[in-house]
Amino acid sequence: MSFSEIFLMRNELLLVTAVLVILIADLSFDADKRKQFYYFSIFLVFIVTVSGLFPAKSGLLFGGMYQTGPLQAMMKNILNFSTLIILLQSWGWFSHVNQQKRIGEFMILLLSTLIGMGYMISSGHFLMFYLGLELATIPLAALAAYDYYNSKSAEAGIKLILLAAFSSGIILFGISLIYAITGTMYFEGAGQLIDGSTLSVLGLVLIFTGLSFKISLVPFHLWAADVYEGSPIALTSYLSVVSKGSAVFILLIVLNTVFASLNDIWDPLIYIIIIITITVGNLFAIRQRNIKRFLAFSSIAQAGFIMLGVINNSAFGVATVVYFMLVYMFSNLAAFGVVSAISAETGKESIDDYKGFYGTNPKLSLVMMLAMFSLAGIPPIAGFFGKFFLFTAAAEKGYYILVLIAVLNTIISLYYYLLIIKTMFIEKSDTPIPFFKSNLPMKISLVICVLGMVITGFTSGVFDYMVEMSDQLFSDMY
Amino acid sequence: MGSALVLIFAIMSVTSRKLLRAAIYLLFVLIGVAIFYLVLDYMFLAAVQIVVYMGGIVVLFIFSILLTSHLSEKLQVVKPLEFIIAALVSLIGAGVALSVISTHTFKPVVADSPEITVFEIGTQLLSYGKYGYVLPFEVISVLLLAAMIAAIVIAKREKKPES
Repeated sequence: MSFSEIFLMRNELLLVTAVLVILIADLSFDADKRKQFYYFSIFLVFIVTVSGLFPAKSGLLFGGMYQTGPLQAMMKNILNFSTLIILLQSWGWFSHVNQQKRIGEFMILLLSTLIGMGYMISSGHFLMFYLGLELATIPLAALAAYDYYNSKSAEAGIKLILLAAFSSGIILFGISLIYAITGTMYFEGAGQLIDGSTLSVLGLVLIFTGLSFKISLVPFHLWAADVYEGSPIALTSYLSVVSKGSAVFILLIVLNTVFASLNDIWDPLIYIIIIITITVGNLFAIRQRNIKRFLAFSSIAQAGFIMLGVINNSAFGVATVVYFMLVYMFSNLAAFGVVSAISAETGKESIDDYKGFYGTNPKLSLVMMLAMFSLAGIPPIAGFFGKFFLFTAAAEKGYYILVLIAVLNTIISLYYYLLIIKTMFIEKSDTPIPFFKSNLPMKISLVICVLGMVITGFTSGVFDYMVEMSDQLFSDMY
Repeated sequence: MGSALVLIFAIMSVTSRKLLRAAIYLLFVLIGVAIFYLVLDYMFLAAVQIVVYMGGIVVLFIFSILLTSHLSEKLQVVKPLEFIIAALVSLIGAGVALSVISTHTFKPVVADSPEITVFEIGTQLLSYGKYGYVLPFEVISVLLLAAMIAAIVIAKREKKPES
């Protein structure tokens, strides 16, 4: 390994640098300069995000512990970009007087989970995978309990840390079984030595279960609604997009490399999980009256749809998942952006408060409408193409009944997404949320999301590029 | 004997209604694990287990229990139904895992050097080639930094906002 090769991990190196710089810079910005500090941190995250856009080389570092390539770089870009958007949306919440002092801690913890996700996605060794997972989880529990004078926030923190510990334990047990069979912790070696014995199936099921907690697939979803409701809204959107996305990505990589030979076993497993996840997610979403809980269940249902792409173990399947995550990021963050703006301005988080919102804040309602259409999958917007490709991926494997159930569920989801739109546009209220102007970072983030929703839907090149990149997972590296 | 010690005290530790007693039972569980390492000839690991876990972590547990709760305080009694469900789930889980592991034929491993020296562990830990562990070592340091900051964020009390 030569010195220049270390720049293969530039994403993580830059993030570590950013964390340390923020840690030190936090001391030098006084109480009246917190806004500058906020912009300074955003700028650092922006640099990291832009650095990811340069062409990425493939390679192994540290004897195969760390592996990277265009696909991993793309996944990290999506995560970095979502983090940037979430931070842009958070100024409304940060600007409250008692939060201003603590911007630094929030940024540091959020970025260190991003480092963990980077190492997790690039891991070529179960130890790195596990460490990345822990680094991506433990700080989140502290962030969930960030509003410690709010008992719901403390509850969210406790629930998150207990379930994280539990799921880590399950994953560790699975890893130990795989190690017992193969005698190696490297993905590459383990993948060649897995023989399809019952023990390796148990290992697969345990690792899959542990990751399902992170992705919040049913029946491992019970933490999601409470944690989403209790956490500060910036963290809620982070959990539902970045944290979930990273777990989906590593699941894709682990299934298609280590467990590639057990494909016959994980296919039916995912098949059943998909059906119950979309159905339960959708049915519970209809009943929710709190917008954060609503989005929690909607994101559970979306996770079920994502698994439709995972079930197809080819470059096309991987590409559909990565593409859908990109689209999902834009749509979900647009929705969370609007919710966050309203919550920071008025503190209202119930769906009933949104009545007559169009009359007072037409622009924000339009953004919300686009986001809901995209999440539901209405044609001209990117969400349609995302779902369409996922359905194609599952149909290609011959799972027509599964696709039929998924399409029926899309109709149910359309119902509850339209309910939100109806509440905002048609229903009248005596006390609608008054008109307010969003701050500049929020406006920028919403414009990016709307443009993203439209552009990724209309440019076919994006998807072709992803198929091309996903090929490397199946060819040159393994 | 070691596994009997671990099993009995692990069950006592999770069923005890007094926090301090649970922590002491945990101590015996950790001693049992140290015995495992000794049986396997991992002298260094056994020593680390005793020093770090028993000397450090359990003592920390006891400190934090004494600081945060009163000694006479008892944990809630588990409802019978919950107890039965939890016991069933863990028994089924243990049964599945045991039956699968016991029926699996493991490949014999050639044990060339039973004693791994501290010198070898040290060079492995800082080697960056294949089977070297310098990257996880460094990532753990980031993890610890994040965990420390996270602990401070939760523990630091400020006065309640007026609103």
